[in-house]
Amino acid sequence: MTAALRLLAAVAMAAAAALGAAPAAAQTYPSKPIRLVVPFPPSGATDIVARTLAQKLGDALGTSIVVDNRPGAGGTIGSDIVAKAAPDGYTLLLSTTSTHSIAPSLYAKLPYSVERDFVPVIHVADATNILVVTPSLPAANVRELIALAKAKPGALNYASSGNGTIVHLTAELFASSAGIKLTHVPYKGTALALTDLMTGQVSILFDNIVSALPHVRDGKLKALAVTSARRSPLVPEVPTVSESGLPGFVSDTYFGVFAPAATSPEVIARINAAINKVLAAPDYQERLATLGAQAAGGTPEQFAAIVRSETAKWSRVVKESGASAE
Amino acid sequence: MAVIRHPKDFYAGLLFTGIGIAAIVLASQYQLGTAAKMGPGYFPRGLGMLLTVLGAVLVVRSLRIQGTAIPPWNWRSTCVILGSVVLFGLVVEKLGLAASTLGLIVFASTASPEFRLKEAVLSGLFFALLAVGVFIVGLKLQLPIWPIWLASNGQAPAWIS
Amino acid sequence: MDLLNHLALGFGVALAPVNLMYALIGALLGTLIGVLPGIGPVATIAMLLPTTYALQPESALIMLAGIYYGAQYGGSTTSILINMPGETSSAVTCLDGHQMALQGQAGAALAIAALGSFFAGCVATVFVAAFSPPLSELALKFGAAEYFSLMVLGLLGAVVLAHGSLLKAIAMIVFGLLLGIVGTDVNSGVTRFAFGIPELSDGIGVVSVAMGLFGFAEIITNLEGKEKRDIVAAKVKGLWISKAQFRAAWPAVLRGTGLGSVLGLLPGGGAMLASFASYALEKKVAKDPSRFGKGAIQGVAGPESANNAGAQTSFIPLLTLGIPENAVMALMVGAMTIHNIQPGPQVMTSNPTLFWGLVASMWVGNLMLVVLNLPLIGMWIKLLQVPYRILYPAILLFCAIGVYTISNATFDVIQTAAMGFLGVVFVKLECEPAPLLLGFVLGPMMEENLRRALLLSRGDPTVFVTRPLSLVMLLMAASLLLLIVIPNIRRRRADVFAEEA
Repeated sequence: MTAALRLLAAVAMAAAAALGAAPAAAQTYPSKPIRLVVPFPPSGATDIVARTLAQKLGDALGTSIVVDNRPGAGGTIGSDIVAKAAPDGYTLLLSTTSTHSIAPSLYAKLPYSVERDFVPVIHVADATNILVVTPSLPAANVRELIALAKAKPGALNYASSGNGTIVHLTAELFASSAGIKLTHVPYKGTALALTDLMTGQVSILFDNIVSALPHVRDGKLKALAVTSARRSPLVPEVPTVSESGLPGFVSDTYFGVFAPAATSPEVIARINAAINKVLAAPDYQERLATLGAQAAGGTPEQFAAIVRSETAKWSRVVKESGASAE
Repeated sequence: MAVIRHPKDFYAGLLFTGIGIAAIVLASQYQLGTAAKMGPGYFPRGLGMLLTVLGAVLVVRSLRIQGTAIPPWNWRSTCVILGSVVLFGLVVEKLGLAASTLGLIVFASTASPEFRLKEAVLSGLFFALLAVGVFIVGLKLQLPIWPIWLASNGQAPAWIS
Repeated sequence: MDLLNHLALGFGVALAPVNLMYALIGALLGTLIGVLPGIGPVATIAMLLPTTYALQPESALIMLAGIYYGAQYGGSTTSILINMPGETSSAVTCLDGHQMALQGQAGAALAIAALGSFFAGCVATVFVAAFSPPLSELALKFGAAEYFSLMVLGLLGAVVLAHGSLLKAIAMIVFGLLLGIVGTDVNSGVTRFAFGIPELSDGIGVVSVAMGLFGFAEIITNLEGKEKRDIVAAKVKGLWISKAQFRAAWPAVLRGTGLGSVLGLLPGGGAMLASFASYALEKKVAKDPSRFGKGAIQGVAGPESANNAGAQTSFIPLLTLGIPENAVMALMVGAMTIHNIQPGPQVMTSNPTLFWGLVASMWVGNLMLVVLNLPLIGMWIKLLQVPYRILYPAILLFCAIGVYTISNATFDVIQTAAMGFLGVVFVKLECEPAPLLLGFVLGPMMEENLRRALLLSRGDPTVFVTRPLSLVMLLMAASLLLLIVIPNIRRRRADVFAEEA
């Protein structure tokens, strides 16, 4: 009899504690660790950006940020997990252009909707690509490259790190802006692509700056241009594509934080403010620079606008190139 | 009436033929392309055809060559072992590593003809401790130790970083 | 002598107490996760990467490298003892290693695995130290056509792996090829055979296949009988290797080292391909090939040496070209990037302490590993004698956790269970899983490179024979094919005649 009463009391206390804790939690955000989902494997660019951010953000918010890698299906599995997560501010997503601006037009059936299931929190950083060619190619700049391609349509090929990746779509955007036809040779990741590029099996690659730079410095690859709007501090001597004959050409990858759609605006504002502070610190900006990225920042609305404009841009490129993942 | 003299090869052949045909059918929904410019369906379809042929040859041969009988299949063993692993995968995030380990060890132990409940529970507790020590403390795995609903009162979290 | 100066510098770094400590930690961790099925160096290095931020770059890389080649040592332990590959590159060791254990020779198998691994690790490190630049030139010569021809050669070697029915082995290889196709097709972006399941769009995990087909199937079939069943039925015949066994094994170690050193250079699973190739080679050069599959020590010595040699030389493309050729190397790139070191050809010249320190620590690490692993043999044998009814649930537990943590996904666990079911079917029908595993690993690479080679040559198929390296490998494959088929035809005809007599 007493044992049963004791059990009942314990259950009642636990229930009270659980119920009582709920409203308290909302007023003292964050009151427990925050889970930052990264939909890509560890040690990739997105993962490193996330981990360096997590360290500093944890200090700024006064709690610990746990990075949770959920790779697969081009980042859509991890993104979907956050889309369906509880909107209490304790689950966030750090992702890139590929999952939120390219995936909607690349995949016929996406398990999440960017507009409906996510609210943008902040634009963390931008990474840009560099146009490198094999040294034996008789083109010293973008104009000569375009001329070469026009002379033999379809004869020049370019490598990519896979169908629908930024590396692939940037090249497609380049080709359609310049009015030339290039042959696409897809690879799984850039390692083998770089080898074939160095030996001349493929001619062109729009690679991430940091990954291509050592080979450029070593003379194994020729750098023709960078794809950002302004020259990169890592290679100030390399012009932008925009300067070299295709004015207005820009291709950047954004890294940003997203939260499930119903997350409260106060929580979002708090996270946004904290991350903006982290981004302003010079040592963090240096860190990002070594990854070939530039800190961004701003309000959630600014980021939302960027996401929308990038989505419109890439969906056009995807449609024109006929790329699909189904 | 052909007699199945080599049952293992017979059923293996059937299995291969079935998979081969399935591969051909599934591959046909992708673009085939040509030998010089292969589409995504070309290679799988070719493999499917090869496998179907191999399976058919095995079946035909099994009617003529002698072979041993297929050993009996103890369904209980298969279901318990695979079931315990699947259950573990399903509940580990919700019930935590400690409880899931205990459940897995005890349930899986029932497949053995020498099963003893007390021993299995003790073993389960021991390995639960060991698993938490090795994987969560030692290797810093991101798994909750305790069931989620015990830790939601705002205190020390189930996630360990 | 430049090389000696470099090595002196390197040992200075490697033997510094802090780096010795990190080498030891790496070796210990590596052995541990090599033994644990499912968890592999990739997952572990990924998890520990953040903790290396605070370390010196040399210490970080020394530890991470130690984990990688340490895992090759540990992987053979479970393969031999419980027929469960601790590392996918140790899957081949299951074939003869476990048979040796069942005959009471577990000590000898574990010993030759450790010794062979040590020898191969040391020799391969010499290659890394002295021959990195020319070896990396060799790696550069491999284009899509060469990879395709290599895969063809490798798959034919898989046929040699088979002990029983040749026809069933070929069917298993083809089945493996089909399973490998599940996932996104690199050349077209189309997701094949995934039935709309997003987790399948990256393919079936190789860990799931290896663990399910080998490990789970073994446990299930072991439990089917009504009698008591312990792992080691025979009395354990001592913990060490006999002189005769040693004499039989060391040529295999040499061959495995050579093969592994070369294959490790090539992107895409060098260590695993090396172990399979070594097994096939040993079986082909053996005086009595029928011993293979029943406990031939060369079947353990060769592959174990090959996978360790492959693990060491796979650092070469990273350190000389800056190109990571497998997932672990990609993580090393991450580790270097975090420490502001750009991996590339200049690492050797601009960061000599890093390069030579890492190379020297590979010897140190290998020494630590052999010193660690040999005495452990006694402990492992003791562990074998734990009653099976307590042991196997623990094995299942470690497998389940290991598989789960690859991507923190329940699906992976279910996938492994499905493979386990398939594995039981195969055991009942006497179909060998090893050829399937090899087909599964090589198939996608073969197709990818076939199509890429044709894409690059603009549809011209003669590219496979006009490029010299590719031609050489295709010729080797053709001769291997003849070597396999001709004796078989003769035997079949004799069988048929005997039947009809």
